Amino acid sequence: MQVGLEVFLGLAAVLFSLGLYGAISKRSAVMVLMSLELMAVSVNINLVAFSRFLTPEVMTGQFFAIFTMVVSAAEIGLGLALVLAIYRQSRSIELAGLNRLKG
Amino acid sequence: MGYIAVIPLLPALAFAVLVPLSREWRNRMLWIAGAAMGGSLVLSVMAFFATWPGGHAEHPVWHATFPLAEIGGKPLEMGLMLDPISAAMLHLIPIVGKCVQVNSLGYMHRDERVGWYYAALSLFTAAMLLLVLADNFLLLYMAWEVMGLCSYLLIGFWHEQEAPRKASQKAFLTTRVGDVGFAIGLFAMYQAAGTFSFEGVLGSVASWAPGAATLVALMLLFGAMGKSAQVPLHVWLPDAMAGPTPASALIHAATMVAAGVYLVARAMPIFEVSGTALTVTLWVGAITAMVGGLLAAVQHDIKKVLAYSTISQLGYMFIALGAGSVVAAMFHLVTHAFFKSLLFLGAGVIIHASHTQDMREMGGLAKHLKITTVTFTVGSLALAGVFPFSGFWSKDEILAVLLHEQQYGVFAIALIAAFITAFYVARLWFRVFVGPEQTDELHEAHNTMLVPMVLLASITSVIGIGGYWFAEFLGHEGAWPAPVVYLPSLVAAGAGLALSWWAYGRLNIVLNTRPLKQRAGYIYGMLSRKLYFDLTYDTFIIRPFMRLALVFAVFDFKRIDGAVNGVARSWRDLSESGWTFDRRVIDGAVNASATGAKALGSRLRRIQGGRVQAYQRYVVGAVVLLMLWTVVKGA
Repeated sequence: MQVGLEVFLGLAAVLFSLGLYGAISKRSAVMVLMSLELMAVSVNINLVAFSRFLTPEVMTGQFFAIFTMVVSAAEIGLGLALVLAIYRQSRSIELAGLNRLKG
Repeated sequence: MGYIAVIPLLPALAFAVLVPLSREWRNRMLWIAGAAMGGSLVLSVMAFFATWPGGHAEHPVWHATFPLAEIGGKPLEMGLMLDPISAAMLHLIPIVGKCVQVNSLGYMHRDERVGWYYAALSLFTAAMLLLVLADNFLLLYMAWEVMGLCSYLLIGFWHEQEAPRKASQKAFLTTRVGDVGFAIGLFAMYQAAGTFSFEGVLGSVASWAPGAATLVALMLLFGAMGKSAQVPLHVWLPDAMAGPTPASALIHAATMVAAGVYLVARAMPIFEVSGTALTVTLWVGAITAMVGGLLAAVQHDIKKVLAYSTISQLGYMFIALGAGSVVAAMFHLVTHAFFKSLLFLGAGVIIHASHTQDMREMGGLAKHLKITTVTFTVGSLALAGVFPFSGFWSKDEILAVLLHEQQYGVFAIALIAAFITAFYVARLWFRVFVGPEQTDELHEAHNTMLVPMVLLASITSVIGIGGYWFAEFLGHEGAWPAPVVYLPSLVAAGAGLALSWWAYGRLNIVLNTRPLKQRAGYIYGMLSRKLYFDLTYDTFIIRPFMRLALVFAVFDFKRIDGAVNGVARSWRDLSESGWTFDRRVIDGAVNASATGAKALGSRLRRIQGGRVQAYQRYVVGAVVLLMLWTVVKGA
């Protein structure tokens, strides 16, 4: 059987949805960061899949995916640093407690 | 000579300054009125000497006029003028006014509204000064009306009491009857002459339409009769005694009552053209002189005796005017002003000392009130017409004029009136100053009350001799009294005094009215009821008027008040429904928008919970919705 573009897009959509769900519903900041990473990964899959199937002769999509990975690695580093800083402040990484900006 | 305009202005200013002050301040600022009067006195004496030695009345020594308005193409001019007749009156008013002011210091010092009293006195004087300085009949009429108001204020000064209140209304309304006549006279005068100025009116009177002069003269006379208390409009003057006594002196001497005489004297050319009016004036004066004298003879109230005597003496002045002699009338006016104000101030002292106005409760004052007795005696003798006091000279001048005009009937009446005058004056004198004392603690008045009296008494003693020059001052030939005149006059006066002594003076007992009452009960009854004048007015005028007024009052109450109230009620209903609309609809809308905004806000604030994930959910929800919308729309 021929594995087509739709399969990759479907996998990416499933991963994105899982990530989105985790980002919305998890209480721990670390879990939310992991979910965000999941969403980033799903996007990478999309990029690579589009690159492979739609423009096989140029490598634009794959380069983009590598850029995205670098950026998300930096992002996760920053996010974890923030989580650590929050933890030092309030001895908790529960997102529900971080509501000081409410109106 | 512009300072003449200041003469009436000063007391008027004093009034204007005193009126807005509070009562306490007004009572402390009496010196303002005093200073104003003093200023007027000095200026008017200056004006008098500036006029000296007089001359012809048609040539004023000073005349200032300015156009006030234009009526029907003709200018309406107002102005002041000084001529011998004005000057003769002018110096008199502040002299008497000043005396009254000084005397009032003693008489009124305990009254808590003394400041207001002085203010009214000042306005009164100002009005009279303006009246004698006016150069036209209209301004004269205005001042005349202001005086009516002031007399009302002064007579009703003690308005807490019933009698002064009623008397002030009576005075105001009675003189108003005369004023209506005056006003009609003014209209007729304008119709005939087309101007109000003395110059224009008196200069053109000879060329008026036939009858016009008579009409104008009679109407002016009617006004003068009201102001100068001539029969039958004399009824207000005796009642006017309810006012403060020094104010009575002013009303009776220099101001109010003199105005009528002055008016007729001013308008004399109109009367002369008419002829009829002269005769009417003559007989009005004669009747008044008789009636006033007779009524004075039966009064028990010392002030009422003097009031009726004023009426009688004013009658004399009208007799003189009726005989065509301005000089005699004005001379008697001047002498009368001095001795009558003296008598009134004296009466004030007597009342002050004995705490009553009833002569039956007085007696023996001569021993205790020496200065008052002397000055009052001078005034009484002047009133009785005894040589050499002023009344003798002026009365003789009137009698001489009557003889010269061959008015023998009126001459006889005047003689009888002189006899009666002497009788009642002596009656008053004997009752008050001799006889047994009836009051304890009689004491002489304070000097402030006595000094003006001494001054007036000395004027009264010497002024009579000036009659000769007074006539020349007014532009007529002076004359000394002739024996044919002064002998009967002195005999009449002597007889009156003697009769009075026989009836009241020779018996050193408590006197009452019994002799006259017993011997002539009918006449006495008639006289003591004031010859039924008041009764007649009451029955034929006042009561029907009251009944009519009641009918109108009922109509007013039911119909007019009803209509007014109906309009008011419907307005109230209308505004009430307006209020309801305002409250329900307009306020309701405003409140509803406020509560709506509040409710919306309290809902919306829940969205901003501060929880990042919640925001994220909204974003996701919104994105999903947008995507759905795009998909559906795209399909």
